[in-house]
Amino acid sequence: MQSRLFKNLRKDFLIEFRNRSAMNISFAFAGITTLSVSLACGGASLTPQIHSVLLWIIIFFSGMSGLSHIFIREEEERTSLFLALHSDAENIYLSKLIFNIILFACITALVTPLYLFFMQVMPVYRLYFILTASAGSLAVASITTILGAMVAKAESRGSLFTVISFPVMIPVLWISIQLTSDSLEGGSPPELRSLLFLLAFSGVIISVSYLTFKFIWTEQ
Amino acid sequence: MLIYRLVFIFMPVVIYMSFMWAPPAAILGDASRILYFHVPVAWVSVAAFIVSGIQSILFLVSENKRREREYMAYNSAAAGMVFTILTVITGSIWAKLSWGSYWNWDPRETSIVVLMLIYIAYLSLYSSLKEHPNRGGISSVYLIIAMITMPFFIFIIPRIYSSLHPDTIINQEGKIHLEAAMRITLFASIVTFTLLYGYIYRLMNRISRLEIKAEEKHYDI
Repeated sequence: MQSRLFKNLRKDFLIEFRNRSAMNISFAFAGITTLSVSLACGGASLTPQIHSVLLWIIIFFSGMSGLSHIFIREEEERTSLFLALHSDAENIYLSKLIFNIILFACITALVTPLYLFFMQVMPVYRLYFILTASAGSLAVASITTILGAMVAKAESRGSLFTVISFPVMIPVLWISIQLTSDSLEGGSPPELRSLLFLLAFSGVIISVSYLTFKFIWTEQ
Repeated sequence: MLIYRLVFIFMPVVIYMSFMWAPPAAILGDASRILYFHVPVAWVSVAAFIVSGIQSILFLVSENKRREREYMAYNSAAAGMVFTILTVITGSIWAKLSWGSYWNWDPRETSIVVLMLIYIAYLSLYSSLKEHPNRGGISSVYLIIAMITMPFFIFIIPRIYSSLHPDTIINQEGKIHLEAAMRITLFASIVTFTLLYGYIYRLMNRISRLEIKAEEKHYDI
């Protein structure tokens, strides 16, 4: 199982690095959104709550622009059937999930320092801020992986992905915004249990997705 | 089933009880009568979502009656969507009367809007999979994933964040803070709206069954 998983993962990375356009567009989208927000704000003094809302909106839409690509590419290049014959559904899901987690960690690692730099804001609780960004990104990647697989099979994929992702993503955005705001603001330290909620939420989504992915990938 | 036809008797009775028999609430006065419509439609919105989710799980685990399960999940979601819109409308009117504005992003208002968004997302996904042979499987998985988030909105958020919303029927003390006549009217209304949902749901399922039969016989309807 592990060798198939790593082969799939290696294949995805190789294809993406050979044809960098999709990844470049994802990174460019994330960067340009961050720059346009900071440009629009024009050095205005914003509250920590507004900063955290803006940051997570940028992260959310950056995810929307790139995370369904890994499954859509398989459908567009008509390789999904071959992949289904080569590996079982669980392997495919895990390899795509790992790919998306790594890709989105890179996007978050690009967006967050850019935002802090251009908006000239520095978190008071830096460790909490980093942990929140990491746990929030993990949750976003775990949700968008399974939803990306659904969208790849549907028509009008681009807009549908945002429509179906947003309601499921609200708990993650809600908690992440609250935690980011607390870590920017100072005062009482942010709650550890909210951070644990994000990790637990990701765990539940990944478990359910792992169990149900075969119903999406293979025609019943 | 005959039981759902009781809605034709119960509904006029409940309307009479709501406007004539139940006393007005102490502070809100006659405006409080919207309670007898808002709470039942909110209950049906959640119940329809649960029915839809159960049908989706059964679709995935069962070998037979899959086509039937697929349209039963869809029909419950479609009916639930209408009740959710009614919940939002009646809730906004009540909010305007008691809090002075139609919308406040109160935790409970947020949770019902999220439920509505989930219904919209599910119905959008279902319609965009029109030509796909695995339409039932994909949309069922979406509903199951969406169901994971619902306890967060219904049970966790309203208890963590302060809310202007009155106590729910099942509150932390486990008590119902209503006069006897108001309580009877409310429960009669909940039963009636549940019957109404059941009646509409059965009709929708019958129509779907007939459509499938017509498709199988190559009739063009």
